[in-house]
Amino acid sequence: MTSRSSLFRAALRIPPSCIVFVVLLVTLWVLRPNMMNPAILGTFARQVVPLGIVVLGQLLVISSRSIDLSAGGIILLVNYLISSGLLYSWPLLPIVLLCLGVGLAVGLVNGLLVGKRRASAVIVTLAINIVLIGLVEYLANGKPPGDVPAEFHALYNLRFWTIPAPVMFWIALAGIMSAFLGVSVFGRFVWSIGSNPTSAHFSGVPVERTVVIAHVISGLMSAVAALVQTSSIAVGSVRFGPELVMNSIAATILGGVVFGRPAEVWGPFVGVLCFALLFVVMTTMGVQEPGKLIVQGLIILLAAIFYGLRSKSN
Amino acid sequence: MSKVGQIFFRANSRHGLWTIPLLVAICCCAGLAAATADFVSRQNVLNLFAQAAPLILVSIGQMIVILVKGLDLSVGSVVSLTTGILSLNAPVYVTVPAAMLMAAVVGLLNGVAVTRFRVHPIIATLSIMGITQGAAMFVRPSAGGTVASEIVALVSGQLFGIYMPVIWTIVAILFGWKIVHASRFGLHLFAIGGGETAGTFGIAERRNVLAAYVLSSCFAAAAGIFLAGRIASGDPNIGTQYAVDSITAVALGGTQLAGGIGSLHGTLIGCGLLSLIANGMNLLNVSAFIQTVVKGAILLLVIALQPRKNIGL
Repeated sequence: MTSRSSLFRAALRIPPSCIVFVVLLVTLWVLRPNMMNPAILGTFARQVVPLGIVVLGQLLVISSRSIDLSAGGIILLVNYLISSGLLYSWPLLPIVLLCLGVGLAVGLVNGLLVGKRRASAVIVTLAINIVLIGLVEYLANGKPPGDVPAEFHALYNLRFWTIPAPVMFWIALAGIMSAFLGVSVFGRFVWSIGSNPTSAHFSGVPVERTVVIAHVISGLMSAVAALVQTSSIAVGSVRFGPELVMNSIAATILGGVVFGRPAEVWGPFVGVLCFALLFVVMTTMGVQEPGKLIVQGLIILLAAIFYGLRSKSN
Repeated sequence: MSKVGQIFFRANSRHGLWTIPLLVAICCCAGLAAATADFVSRQNVLNLFAQAAPLILVSIGQMIVILVKGLDLSVGSVVSLTTGILSLNAPVYVTVPAAMLMAAVVGLLNGVAVTRFRVHPIIATLSIMGITQGAAMFVRPSAGGTVASEIVALVSGQLFGIYMPVIWTIVAILFGWKIVHASRFGLHLFAIGGGETAGTFGIAERRNVLAAYVLSSCFAAAAGIFLAGRIASGDPNIGTQYAVDSITAVALGGTQLAGGIGSLHGTLIGCGLLSLIANGMNLLNVSAFIQTVVKGAILLLVIALQPRKNIGL
């Protein structure tokens, strides 16, 4: 009995994303065996790199019991800045720096309102998001913006040993984030706030500052994701679905990081890969847009219920 | 604090209502009446009611959920799905009960996920929102179809010389008042939102929270019926704005998102204020995009003025 229950507990400790990933991989292998080669799978992975980078910020924020719904707005703004032609004469580096600055600034505003003003994170980031979207749509005035500088697209299409450059970049970023959380004091702070904010506060953890920094990093990650996203489509667009934000939350939860769980990078990382496969599996099975929404909703709900049950048994 | 200061800057402990939103609403009214000739015309007042009625319906439901420390992000998709169901080719006595049943099921799913499985309300309602929105787009992929003439008449006609949107608003207010301020259930809502100890006093926390989510969805479905009658067709995206708008209206009205503090009249003032601002900007030909920005800025301002104990969600 004891051995069975400990086995059950060990099974619960694996992030659901790993299980889902294996299931999806087997499904794809049965449905389309010819897709199982590195070049094609690399292309699938490349499509979710923006999502993966947003998730790197989202997991920090969610682990410190907050949430960031403003990624869509930041991506839209950065995309507009690059493609509108306003900065057309600028060289590459200042453009990139400006975009990262935008992400930092939005993250800082989020962080200050959530951490210092103690406003509800959902409302703050939701409001910031609609302000940014409204602003970009007003500036763009309904017209689709122009082209993205060619360097971006060239960088996006680069491959190292059949692995696309954006995927390499994503893996490197996730590695840095993982090491940062594992080694730095900030990582310990996030961990302790995730476990119990009250005891973290009484143990002398600067809860406010940690939450602010988590939001700033999340904003920065959204800006980086925006750069990758923009270089992937080569032309400007005023339509980015809110599904990116929803998927980033879904992938984070699927990866085993829920409110008040220690931040962990590789679970959500696999969660994002799950989404890469999920899109492919659903497309090959002929599932339309409504079906995709329903499946995403179900995945978030089931993963969250799974964790709710687990926290109850603890 | 001086007496004047108390009146203007301190919130009532249970209702959380500030005098400021009321004053802002009155100033908006006066300013718009002065700035635009059309504002006080009968047609515009009627438009105002027609704009406010669905928002009031959704916001009352949203407030009930917020009172018990929850949040319902799925209301918008329930509104959309309701218009989708009503625009199906079926008689009224099938579509309306079907829509209400759908709403009850959605609310039940939200409530069960939150109470039984202890999923965070935001996560639970966000995922249910995805599922409901998917269903809405499945039922009606793009705006279209026709809604039965009975429902159109229910929204656009007159009854005893009173325009229907006004009647809808009054009925919604009476119903909301009964639930929140004149029933045992309403008292329990405040008790559950107020602290961890409600259970100790014999209040069935789970059952009441579950009922709050079901009510919220049903109010959203009622708003959907109203909107379907207004546009006489179905639209999978008509409800998208209502999640944010209802939260804004409820927060504007002094209801604390941490639960336990709030009032129906506050929510009504919030809805009125939001509708007035939208109506005024329409009259002054402000771009729809700038209207979104203004709405977001108001939400930010109101939220920044509501300090809480906890950091985070």
